[in-house]
Amino acid sequence: MTNQLQNAFEINQLNLFYGTKQALKEINLNIVKNQVTALIGPSGCGKSTFLRTLNRMNDLIPNCKVEGSIRYHNDDLYAQSFDVIELRRKVGMVFQKPNPFPMSIFENVAYGLRCQGIKDKAILQLAVKQALIDAALYEEVKDRLKESALSLSGGQQQRLCIARAIAMAPEVILMDEPTSALDPIATAKIEELINELKKDYTIIIVTHNMQQALRISDYTAFFLMGEIMEYGETNQIFSHPKKAKTEDYITGRFG
Amino acid sequence: MSKNKVRKLKDLFLNIVTYLSSAVSLVTLLAIVIFVFGKGYKLLNINLVVENFESQGYVADLYDTGLYCGCSPTVTLSEEAFYSQKWGIALTDTTDLLGKTVVMVEYVHPDSPFKTVRDKGISGEPIPMRTDYDIIRIAFDDYPTALSRYGSEAMISALEANDSIREIEFETQGGGIRGSIITTLILIVLTLVLALPIGIGAAIYLNEYASPNKITRTLRSLIETLTGVPSIIYGLMGLAIFVPITVKLTGATGGNLISGAMTLAVILMPIIIRTTEESLKVVPDDYRQASLALGASKTQTTFQVVLPSAIPGILTSVLLAIGRIIGESAALVFAIGTTIKDDVSLTGKSTSLAVHIWSMMTDEPANIELSATIAIIIMIIVVLLNIFIKIISARYMQRKLGVSS
Repeated sequence: MTNQLQNAFEINQLNLFYGTKQALKEINLNIVKNQVTALIGPSGCGKSTFLRTLNRMNDLIPNCKVEGSIRYHNDDLYAQSFDVIELRRKVGMVFQKPNPFPMSIFENVAYGLRCQGIKDKAILQLAVKQALIDAALYEEVKDRLKESALSLSGGQQQRLCIARAIAMAPEVILMDEPTSALDPIATAKIEELINELKKDYTIIIVTHNMQQALRISDYTAFFLMGEIMEYGETNQIFSHPKKAKTEDYITGRFG
Repeated sequence: MSKNKVRKLKDLFLNIVTYLSSAVSLVTLLAIVIFVFGKGYKLLNINLVVENFESQGYVADLYDTGLYCGCSPTVTLSEEAFYSQKWGIALTDTTDLLGKTVVMVEYVHPDSPFKTVRDKGISGEPIPMRTDYDIIRIAFDDYPTALSRYGSEAMISALEANDSIREIEFETQGGGIRGSIITTLILIVLTLVLALPIGIGAAIYLNEYASPNKITRTLRSLIETLTGVPSIIYGLMGLAIFVPITVKLTGATGGNLISGAMTLAVILMPIIIRTTEESLKVVPDDYRQASLALGASKTQTTFQVVLPSAIPGILTSVLLAIGRIIGESAALVFAIGTTIKDDVSLTGKSTSLAVHIWSMMTDEPANIELSATIAIIIMIIVVLLNIFIKIISARYMQRKLGVSS
């Protein structure tokens, strides 16, 4: 069945160093298009680092060195000629802490489009509205688009951040523990949203919540000490893990 | 002595030191304010602020010499005033803004022939007599001229003794600080226009672009050193560099407002760079990451997300800068000069309020009252600008960030 599915990312022999410390070791992984892939593992195991290699946010960290190859639809992400800005437009990101800009709700969603040079008000309004609808936030904020985004609740802010990413019409959305700062109700809303979004987007999500990984993901990769211990379909990983370490982790014996 | 007692004594000692220090600073501050207000409040009036420094002299005569008033004053006159029943005018001995003894018009009766006098110059225009004019002399047809130096009592008795007046010379009070206020305000605007873009730009470079290496660190500590350089040295630099440049490029003949603003801009640059950098530093990295992750370039991120978030901090640096501009005198003595002027022009010499004080105090004798009054006005301007910037900052926060501070 997996044969029919396209790969969004193909990662080969990826090594990543922070200075002399190796954070990722020989990662080989294919990320399937239009599916939700969950990255799980204990803190400091390299899953967030790995996520950030996919839109090259690691570039911002000084002394960060990457070896090996990541191919995104057959383009090498770390090739010299590769356009990082173009990549980040196609591969959106939602962070752990909701981080809306200190601007109005409308401006937050329109920001990425404006940066692309879109100035037409009608186009912006349409795109913002659609993104907010897709992020299941429109009904709650439609009367106060001009108000500051910081006046929203944490859950709303996170959905705004998702709307902001969606507005760019990306192909992939990276989520770095998007619900870890939210209460269970807001978390449920975001999970529901992810289920909706996966029809149109490839989603890669880092999570510490095993139940969440099980609920929302199609594939799961288990990271440990910078390596991928196990990767497979989520159901298989959670019901019949091949490795003892994986079972220990998902059953809560360590981590 | 037990350990506990020693600790208590130590605590008591340290507490006394902190209380004393705050008390001393409070008393010092109050002493300055009380001194300035005590010395200066007498001269504080609107005329001082709107009047010219140079006094304007007039020579005039009466429209109808035969007309006497013979009227009593309609208001209660001060005890020092001398009133002429015949002419309906009250004069008083006083000192003017510059500390000179003068005979001032205290009151003119509505029916008095002095109410409106005729300019003896070519224009022949009517001049309404104002109650703050200083009479210099009154000349009569066959009677010794009454001069101001003999005092108002002598002048009034001369008036009473005569039936006609040949001419009267008087002048506006002068000593006003309108020109210096305008100069100060122009200096503030001009200096900020020059210093803000450069200072903010440099701060952005240092905080956002420069890699944290030795060169950046050296640059930063050099900038910090600049804040400690005495401003008179900047003044010398202004005299040596900016004055010749402005003389070459504009019609200026010496120190001028533009060279003064340039000198002040150099003084302010390190302050603006430091405070702006501090405010850029506290902009959460989350904003930068979110912006970059949305495919914005580094420059877009810096100017559209980071800089707007730092605006309140930058406004604080503007406030500090304005305070420094108003307070600066040593550098301006060289870069603009100390000439007190009423008609302020960008390329001409003129003087800021602080230097105006310096000029007053170097006069013989030193004019402490007027200096204190100018000090009050400077304090009022500073307080007003403070409030203004606080309001702008709060409104900006309210509108942009949705938080009320």
